[in-house]
Amino acid sequence: MKILYFAKLKQLIGKSEETICIRKKKKISQIINELKKRNDVYNFAFKESNSLQYAVNCEYVDLDFFVTDSDELAIFPPVSGG
Amino acid sequence: MQVLFQRKKFNESDLINKFSLDNKNSGAIFSFIGKVRPKNQNNNVLSIDIELYEKMAQVQIKKIIKKLMKKYLIDDYLVVHRYGRVKPRENIVLIVVASQHRKESFRFGEGLMDWIKVKATFWKKENYSNSSEWVNQKETDREFIDFSL
Repeated sequence: MKILYFAKLKQLIGKSEETICIRKKKKISQIINELKKRNDVYNFAFKESNSLQYAVNCEYVDLDFFVTDSDELAIFPPVSGG
Repeated sequence: MQVLFQRKKFNESDLINKFSLDNKNSGAIFSFIGKVRPKNQNNNVLSIDIELYEKMAQVQIKKIIKKLMKKYLIDDYLVVHRYGRVKPRENIVLIVVASQHRKESFRFGEGLMDWIKVKATFWKKENYSNSSEWVNQKETDREFIDFSL
């Protein structure tokens, strides 16, 4: 599954995207917990995961949403355009 | 009926004039321009960097427009939003709406801008002389959203 990071989150993690392999559907919150266990950088970046926003295939979803390996998950701080 | 995301500057007068000519049978043309303020909370802003998730911004803005078009009868619209580096006093966003009567284009344009502030995937980073700061979404940006749409 492709994960995209934007804005401050991209800056903190140091990359704009990465691909992870998930064998069966998982909640986004589970994926975040797994990412946090990787290292201090991820742990810090996702410290306030409730205040981040999540989108699957360009639609807003919440942390309880289930994703599969073919999905594109985007994670970012609340938008600030206009 | 167009939504454009672009790096380059745009001339608002040219775009509004062309839009007005293209919609010569409309009775009302609404326009809104959002610009970069040279100062934000006592900080001199040297430039802002606007990051964009283009695919999602297109999807979200089209969804918003579809909802608003069910509510307000308009003839045409144009949205231009810049990304990349933008300097103080330059334009960031332009919304132009044509309708037969003024209220439809006012409400459509205002509603569209309100939704863009909370749903369109753009992020602004302000650059000052010695530092940079990501701009947070304001609580007030959500105040005027018509969530019943």
